[in-house]
Amino acid sequence: MAETAGEKKEYWRWQENCWIDESKNWRDAKIITAGIDVGSVSSQAVIVCDGGLYGFNSMRTGNNSPDSAKNAINGVLEKSGMKLEDIHYVVGTGYGRVNVPFAHKAITEIACHARGANYMGGSQIRTILDMGGQDCKAIHCDEKGKVTNFLMNDKCAAGTGRGMEVIADLMQIPIAELGPRSFDVDEEPPAVSSTCVVFAKSEALALLKAGYSKNKVIAAYCQAMAERVVSLLERIGVEKEFFITGGIAKNPGVVKRIERLLGLQAVQTKYDSQIAGALGAALFGYTLVQKQGVPNKAAA
Amino acid sequence: MSGLFDQFKTWYEKRHDYARAWKARTGGQVVATMCTYTPEEILIAAGMLPVRVLGAHEPQNVTEPHIFGMFCPFCRDSLAQGLLGRFDYAEGITLTQSCIQYRQAFNSWRAHVPTVKWDYYLPMPNEVQSRFARAQHYAEVKKFRQFIEGVIGRPLPDAELKRGIEIVNENRRLLRELFEYRKETNPRVTGVEALYASITAQFVDKEEHNKELKRVLAELPKRSNDRPEGIRFMTIGSENDDVAFMAMVESVGATIVIDDQCSGTRYFWNEARVQDDAIATIADRYCERPACPTKDYPAHTRFDHVLKLAKDYNARAAIFLQQKFCDPHEGDYPDLKRHLEANGVPTLFLEFDITNPLGPFRIRVEAFLETLREEELF
Repeated sequence: MAETAGEKKEYWRWQENCWIDESKNWRDAKIITAGIDVGSVSSQAVIVCDGGLYGFNSMRTGNNSPDSAKNAINGVLEKSGMKLEDIHYVVGTGYGRVNVPFAHKAITEIACHARGANYMGGSQIRTILDMGGQDCKAIHCDEKGKVTNFLMNDKCAAGTGRGMEVIADLMQIPIAELGPRSFDVDEEPPAVSSTCVVFAKSEALALLKAGYSKNKVIAAYCQAMAERVVSLLERIGVEKEFFITGGIAKNPGVVKRIERLLGLQAVQTKYDSQIAGALGAALFGYTLVQKQGVPNKAAA
Repeated sequence: MSGLFDQFKTWYEKRHDYARAWKARTGGQVVATMCTYTPEEILIAAGMLPVRVLGAHEPQNVTEPHIFGMFCPFCRDSLAQGLLGRFDYAEGITLTQSCIQYRQAFNSWRAHVPTVKWDYYLPMPNEVQSRFARAQHYAEVKKFRQFIEGVIGRPLPDAELKRGIEIVNENRRLLRELFEYRKETNPRVTGVEALYASITAQFVDKEEHNKELKRVLAELPKRSNDRPEGIRFMTIGSENDDVAFMAMVESVGATIVIDDQCSGTRYFWNEARVQDDAIATIADRYCERPACPTKDYPAHTRFDHVLKLAKDYNARAAIFLQQKFCDPHEGDYPDLKRHLEANGVPTLFLEFDITNPLGPFRIRVEAFLETLREEELF
């Protein structure tokens, strides 16, 4: 991992991902809908054919929401040979939801993550933890994936994906390795006392100077993150069928510690947890087309 | 008919200009008042203009040496206005006892705002339910009258006090009449408009305010409101004059139809019961008004009052606008939330600061609306 002069390695950079279900032919579908989740850190486009997941694209959010939305959808369109006009209904979600130029409707990411989790984890899911780029949400839903209650973290981005990116850069360890490496410690360290991205950074440096190994610092940060989101979950109450969405759901260092603190295992899924919001948005689009028909003209 | 409430909006946006102009026009004294338990009737009878201290909702760096950062944002923002010289036209500053944070903001104001010529702390009992409270408050209001007589240098006859009571009572009556329109389906008065009307009553000359209220009330029957009603909300909390927040809520598919806040109904809800004794009329009115949490023990009278407001105004749900670190309201919150939800009024909790993040609040409000709407998405 040594850097040469003038070369800056981006340890925070997570794997962007574009996938389509090769076993399906979208031309056979009667209803094609898309969900676009423009988040603070990542953007996803999901395409659903007749109510089933067909393809998705997940990439880093750019410097404006409309372009991020277009880039996300273009990735999956190119891979599938589909055109935007082939899609009957588009729903925007995420913090940039009202700036998706080709969306017919905007729905909050809270509703979309619940609906997406319901698809990914099954109708038994009742509690969802969405660990996003700059915020966390604890959500309760019913058997249809309809939100019945929710809580969001307030104001600061502590304990979220962006914080983990900063730690990856600080430790000079690729972000995907942070989780596994956090378990490679002699003993579990106490959590860093602050999950504030700025303070955690200085605290992590102090720990390194005090003789902590990098893995131990990462473990202490993962523990702090887990404690922070568990306090959010406990405020709303956790029901047994519990599901985690968002990018941090891919970090076992945080997920296992959350499970340990809750005494509960999160429901596993074969899908990419990061697409839950966009998937929920596309599924809402599908229901809306079923109920209201195809809109006459694309919103764009 | 848009523009019907423009005068209130202008008063709100240019409230300091208004007070200065009033002073130049009348030659009267302006009194900065903290807390809506202040017996304005006495100040008005004495020919003064009571101007409630409101914040400016902008970042400030002047209060740290005076009060703690963990005092509520309204206290900090209010004190900042004094320290920044925004109330340099006000000769007097008064506080009627409510919460300890506000009291320390007041103490700092009277000690450190150089334009203050006189100040008065009115120690109203917090336990208004005590059998001793009314007699105690009667004595304190009487002392306040004597103090004001000293300020103006002449006695304040009962006849003038009674005129003050009449003017303030008329204002309360007119605001209630205006708020009646909010009971309608698709109300002709929005939450933002109602806020402009009620908050300006707290710093505009009451007779002028009454005149404007009458004008608006005369026009309202002709007004047709074609904006979609959406979900009917109630707001609950201490002070709120965050117009941008209210407008945001009403732009995403909701109408705010009623409130339990001191910037709204708690300020004007009950008229003074006119008695032979003017001081008793005034003192009793403040003991009987819908309680602020600081004055609502041992029995929680406000819980049923809030629920009744929600039911009378057909509010589908309530939003708690919690000033961060406001202990009295935060103490009430868990039980009041349970009380409302047990009676079919779902709630959303938002924590307010001096400046509020409209984007994140919008996500919360929209998500809350989605939980309340019909199941078009399922």
